Amino acid sequence: MKRGTFFLSLMAATFSLIFMTWNIVRGDSGYVGSEACKDCHEAYYNKFMKSVHGKKAVSGNPANREGCESCHGPGAQHIEKGGGRGVAIIAFSKRVSPIEKSAKCMACHEESKALAFWNMNRHKFAGNSCDSCHSIHRGVEKLLVVSEPDLCFNCHRNIRAQTNKQSHHPIKEAFVGRQVLKCSNCHDTMGDFATEPIVSFSGSRRSGTDKMIKADSVNELCFKCHAEKRGPFMWQHPPVEESCLICHEAHGSNHGKLLTNRVPLLCQNCHSVQGSHPRRPYTNLHSFPGPATANRNKFFGRSCLNCHTNIHGSNGPAERGEAFLR
Amino acid sequence: MKSRMTIFVVSLFMIGLTAFSNAFSEEYQLEGEVGVEGVYAGVTGEEGGRAKFTEYRDLRQGVSVFGNVGLGLDSERFFLKLRASDMGYDTQSYRLEGGMWGKFKAYLFYDEIPHNLTFDSRTFFWGAGHHTLTGTPNTNFSTWNTFDYSIERHQYGGGLRANMIKPFFFDISFQREDRDGIKPAGIAQGSPGNIVVELPEPVDYTTNNLNVEGGYAKNPFFLSAGFIYSDFDDHNDKLSFTHPQVPFPMDILTLPPDNKYYKGYFKGAVKLPLNSKFNVNAGYSSARSDANLLSSFVTNGTITPVTLSKPNFDGRIDTQNYSFVLTSNPLRFLGGKIFYSYYKRDNKNDVIFQNAEFNRPFDYRKNAAGMDLGFRLPANLYLGAGYKFIKTDRRLKGAEPTEELIPPDNEDNIFSIDLRWTGLDSMAIRAGYERLDRGVDFVGPVPFNRRSAYSSFDRDTYRASVDLYPMENLNLGFGYLFKRTDYAEIFGLKNDKRHEFESSADYLIGKIAKLYGFFNLEWIRFIQSVQNPSPLGVSREEQKERTYGYGIGSEIYAIPQKLTFMFQFDYLKSNGNVDFTLDPGLFVAGTGLGPGSGANNDNIDITNLDDYTKYALKFKAAYHFTKSIIVSAGYAYERFKYNDVQLDNYLFVNPPVGPVTGGNAGYLTGAYKGQSYKAHLVFGGVSYRF
Repeated sequence: MKRGTFFLSLMAATFSLIFMTWNIVRGDSGYVGSEACKDCHEAYYNKFMKSVHGKKAVSGNPANREGCESCHGPGAQHIEKGGGRGVAIIAFSKRVSPIEKSAKCMACHEESKALAFWNMNRHKFAGNSCDSCHSIHRGVEKLLVVSEPDLCFNCHRNIRAQTNKQSHHPIKEAFVGRQVLKCSNCHDTMGDFATEPIVSFSGSRRSGTDKMIKADSVNELCFKCHAEKRGPFMWQHPPVEESCLICHEAHGSNHGKLLTNRVPLLCQNCHSVQGSHPRRPYTNLHSFPGPATANRNKFFGRSCLNCHTNIHGSNGPAERGEAFLR
Repeated sequence: MKSRMTIFVVSLFMIGLTAFSNAFSEEYQLEGEVGVEGVYAGVTGEEGGRAKFTEYRDLRQGVSVFGNVGLGLDSERFFLKLRASDMGYDTQSYRLEGGMWGKFKAYLFYDEIPHNLTFDSRTFFWGAGHHTLTGTPNTNFSTWNTFDYSIERHQYGGGLRANMIKPFFFDISFQREDRDGIKPAGIAQGSPGNIVVELPEPVDYTTNNLNVEGGYAKNPFFLSAGFIYSDFDDHNDKLSFTHPQVPFPMDILTLPPDNKYYKGYFKGAVKLPLNSKFNVNAGYSSARSDANLLSSFVTNGTITPVTLSKPNFDGRIDTQNYSFVLTSNPLRFLGGKIFYSYYKRDNKNDVIFQNAEFNRPFDYRKNAAGMDLGFRLPANLYLGAGYKFIKTDRRLKGAEPTEELIPPDNEDNIFSIDLRWTGLDSMAIRAGYERLDRGVDFVGPVPFNRRSAYSSFDRDTYRASVDLYPMENLNLGFGYLFKRTDYAEIFGLKNDKRHEFESSADYLIGKIAKLYGFFNLEWIRFIQSVQNPSPLGVSREEQKERTYGYGIGSEIYAIPQKLTFMFQFDYLKSNGNVDFTLDPGLFVAGTGLGPGSGANNDNIDITNLDDYTKYALKFKAAYHFTKSIIVSAGYAYERFKYNDVQLDNYLFVNPPVGPVTGGNAGYLTGAYKGQSYKAHLVFGGVSYRF
């Protein structure tokens, strides 16, 4: 590079630096301070100041930086233009792209355990941004827009339908007192380690989408609350060992014990050729008032489970254990 | 226990409060809410109905008074919170947490969760809920002992989350759960067959869980390592009971063994150029149990000794898993992911020889790989396409299995495509398709031992959804899913077809009212065939389930900020039936469908398989006397009407007359009997916020 060119470049850089510094000193950076926001948005301001984002003791917090403008961007032009939703300000409305909105949050929150794997999260790829679920100004617990499970049901309508069914996990039980189970007890909605195609939405009971569960396998998740099913048992029922979801639904079912189908029909899905009594037809005539005189006790009450009580596994003796009878 | 827990938690809060106010002389705010709610419940129902009404809650006939407390202390640097609800009831919950904003949080909790199955069940045994049941079968069930099928979980624990030395973090949590109660079990007198006897099985479990995790989170790295320990203790490893044929010695049902579980794991991510990130997840776990084995069993009045190759069983199952994922978003319009995952279950259970029988430890490993790509197209279109391949290898350990016992391997090919359009601010449309092809390498004669859990199949799934936001205060959503699975095997599950439709709406009318509602419809059909052994013949079963539900609700702000009326109605109805078509040769003696039964293909169908109607109506009014005092009152009606072919016309003793010794007879306890109920609820409460 010639000496003259270098000198001119250096001069240009120096003047640019001086000009930028002067603008900041003069206040032309566009930032006006949170107090200015309070004039029109007092309720939001008050909520913000009481929230964790308003705590100056937390390093890197918006309160230690540009306050409201840390997230909404410089407000000078917004004020000059007389305000209004989204006028010269980031309003986190539907018109702003999800990527742009999430980027504001991720600027601070990416370096956290909760969001370390947001890059491969299904919610992200489905076009959601942080404000799809969280509201800084109106949020309830964990700044959620509404509490679980209603928040999740806004999009996962099929799950709401399942949790209404007669056999269900206690996800909606909140008539008196607290909600017993939350969606987030089993699902990691922001940081799931996903080894599924993002667009995958169906899959099989055994090897389909991982549904953002908080475990490395379905059974590992279920055993957190149902440790008695973990065994290891001497006599094992192979589908139980592979995945609870081969026989059970996770959220709700029309059939007791959240089974995917009614026993004995469920058992006959597999036990349709082998053995003796498993592969007989069990009809309405085998029920309590039915006239059938043989095979009745395989059908009424709890059906196959009347005898095969240890269906998840057994340490019983010899063929009694092998058939899960003891 | 319950009142002691309340006193304990409140005392802890007071200690925390004292420490908070003394140790940190900074300005703080105290906020909270104290509420009391009275509920009168009038419940009509049989044994199962009264339990079903209160399945996961503690709300029995009569008046109940629930107390709820929420307190919070907040300063610039510290916080302390207490929440207590349903104090003194089987659903009570307490949580105390405190810490330093952005530095650490410590918490303690205590929760109770009931699960009621059936009240006032009956058994001729003495000792329900204990590990020994004694008694002689008799048919006069009105004199039997009564007990409740009900399980209660008591969970307590605490934890610490520390983030004081950023970018390092550390989490530790401990939880202990005591679970007690009774659940239904059953035994067959013989092996197999003969009479059925239902038993109350004692549940007396203790589970301890410990989680520890530490890590580092600062761009471009995220590193985390953790350890999980879980210890399950069943205080009853066996249930002894008087055998209905031979009183001595007692027969024994084995119960879940004690177990221990250990897991270590690592998760990590590193940011790479081109807006990419490489992610790793690896874990190793070991589950272990041990049990003393029984050296005999009772069958048909005789004691059969069992010669064991080892008197006790040591169970051990290890798993390994690791996954690698590379995500990249190099261009604004292009994103993608490529991944590989491995899961191995290594079954190290003892192989025990017992007379001519021996167990065959089962294990498998799964390799999966795949990728997906997402394209942002013009006109606000987003197109995603994915592929995943899964190979599942299974094997049985121990002695070489015969051909028909060799578990098959599967290969899954999953293709998916998703199209999303967000061209209008007021509308989002999404449509997707997924294809799953499963291949299998069955060994052994056709069709022996070919089961649907392993079978090859083709699955097509279509999905579409529309979300509409025609106004800022109006949201509408519609979703549809169709799934069809065709199994290739001759017997067992042949076809699974289902339609699901869902919709929802909510509308905010200024500051006057909020209206919301939903509707869903589900239609499922299973077709399966089973091969009757003797006489040889095939029965075809076509099962259908039709379920629909809706809910509507409103909140009317009659006097804004002062008086609010709430209304909600939820309805759900499900109908299930099974249409049987049997080969003519199956209507013979020995099947229960012989000539004497009058059975034919027109009168054997099941018309009520888990049929139920469930609805709930609720009115509530809330009045804010002041900003601090809120009074509410309301009424609710709940109805559950249940019909089922296997439980209707329930008989504790079957057949109901004569000595119960026939091969198809049973002594039952009433588990899940009579689940219908009606309930009227009147409730009212007052809460004070400060």
